[in-house]
Amino acid sequence: MGLLPRTHHGAERGGEGMISTIAYGLTIGAILYIISIGLSLTFGTMRIVNFAHALVYTIGAYALASSLPFFGGSFVLAVIFGVVVVIPLAYLIERFVIRRLYGQSIDYAIIATYAVLLIGVDACKWVWGATPLSVSDPIGTAWTILGVDLPVYRLIIIALSLLVFVVLELFFRRTVVGKVVVAGLEDKEATRSLGINVDKYFSFVFILGSCLAALGGALYVPITSLHPYMGFQVLLLSFAVVIVGGLGNMRGTFVAAFALGLVMAVTGRFWGAASETMVFVVMAVALIVKPIEV
Amino acid sequence: MLLSVERINVAYGHARVLSDVSLNLDKGERVFVVGRNGAGKTTLLKTIAGFLTPTEGKISFAGETVNTLRAEQMANLGVRYVYQDKRVFTRLTVRENIQLAAFAGNEKLDVAIDRVVQIYPKISQFLDTKAGGLSGGQKQLLLLGRALIGDPKLLLIDEPTEGLAAGIIEEVFKVLEMLKGQVSMLIVEQNLAVVRELADRVYAMKEGKIPAHLTDKTDIRDNAVLERYL
Repeated sequence: MGLLPRTHHGAERGGEGMISTIAYGLTIGAILYIISIGLSLTFGTMRIVNFAHALVYTIGAYALASSLPFFGGSFVLAVIFGVVVVIPLAYLIERFVIRRLYGQSIDYAIIATYAVLLIGVDACKWVWGATPLSVSDPIGTAWTILGVDLPVYRLIIIALSLLVFVVLELFFRRTVVGKVVVAGLEDKEATRSLGINVDKYFSFVFILGSCLAALGGALYVPITSLHPYMGFQVLLLSFAVVIVGGLGNMRGTFVAAFALGLVMAVTGRFWGAASETMVFVVMAVALIVKPIEV
Repeated sequence: MLLSVERINVAYGHARVLSDVSLNLDKGERVFVVGRNGAGKTTLLKTIAGFLTPTEGKISFAGETVNTLRAEQMANLGVRYVYQDKRVFTRLTVRENIQLAAFAGNEKLDVAIDRVVQIYPKISQFLDTKAGGLSGGQKQLLLLGRALIGDPKLLLIDEPTEGLAAGIIEEVFKVLEMLKGQVSMLIVEQNLAVVRELADRVYAMKEGKIPAHLTDKTDIRDNAVLERYL
């Protein structure tokens, strides 16, 4: 199952079809940004490839779907619940898995966090089953823009991603904690030499990133279907975003998410089967132009 | 005794870098460590600062054994390490660099800025400049000023004049002179002119050991004696 929304038909023709494609591309970009920013920060701050990120994304999605009836169908409350519920999970992953991997070979991080993901996915199957579930569009209306009907929910997702970007920019540029993280990203040792326990702040960043992944999962449920393996595919796309945007580069991640979202949507419009492949082609080009050191 | 290092050994993996190294420093002293590149001077400072743990021996600071304390814990005890390679936070402004030190040192930002301005008045013109845009000398003075925030007891300064132009070396020299009595300093330096003028005592390092300890001012001022270890 592709990341392109269920209702997106790539074969529409004409200018209206292209507007619709771009709108879908922006929606995918918005979701990818919200999910990827946490991965980018974890990669940038801790130099840890965190496959368990896909698990918190999946848990956020299931938590939303499961809690909707308890909140009387209130989508907003269910989203908040989906985000809050991953905090203890993220803390446990950071405290007992990630923290033991600081400064270790990147291979250990891949193996350990992938194991966490596999255990988590099986736990999801045990709790919720393997049958895909779906949640309906919580708004259900569309605005007509330039003759094209665009679901309001998707426009809200795009707006929310912009809000997340602005809030994170303000957080990292205006608050002392944000500046500690920026300094730690650049030079962890020099930050420690000031008397700052950088790992404590990196843990906070890890939990923040996990909450954003859960937010992305919860917001994406009404657009895609919900199943235990949904995190695997988004994980690979998120890594592509992080690599194209630059490790730990918050603005780069934002631009890369929307650019790759558009690449997916536009490719899907003309050649559906190649939509995700093209993302990895762009990633490969980015790696050739600017190889990463891990 | 403020700092006491007793017969420490330090290794990177299986490669021993420091062997049986001992030194001490009293409150208010300005002690220099000289030696060739690769002698282990930076390793010594980094071990005292808490970035490396000795495999043997004992480090005491203000009467407390600190062998296993981490760098941030040492900094909070009042031990500040000033890097040799001008490591300011380039993506942050000068003000933000100071702000982080003030945050860590639990000091008000205005007071912290005043401390830095006191040793380097021109920095007030660059407060909103990205620290990456400063010259090497300006970065060094910012680092020295930043290390003074939060009332440190001991500065570990690694090659403060390395790679600096003569005019800036003069400014760094004045700062080190000005700090005498305010804070204790253990300084790694290869510029013998600076060592001759400022050192209370000198430890000479060679191949991870301390073969000489100069306490006599006549010896310290004698270039021939110091040059034996460079």
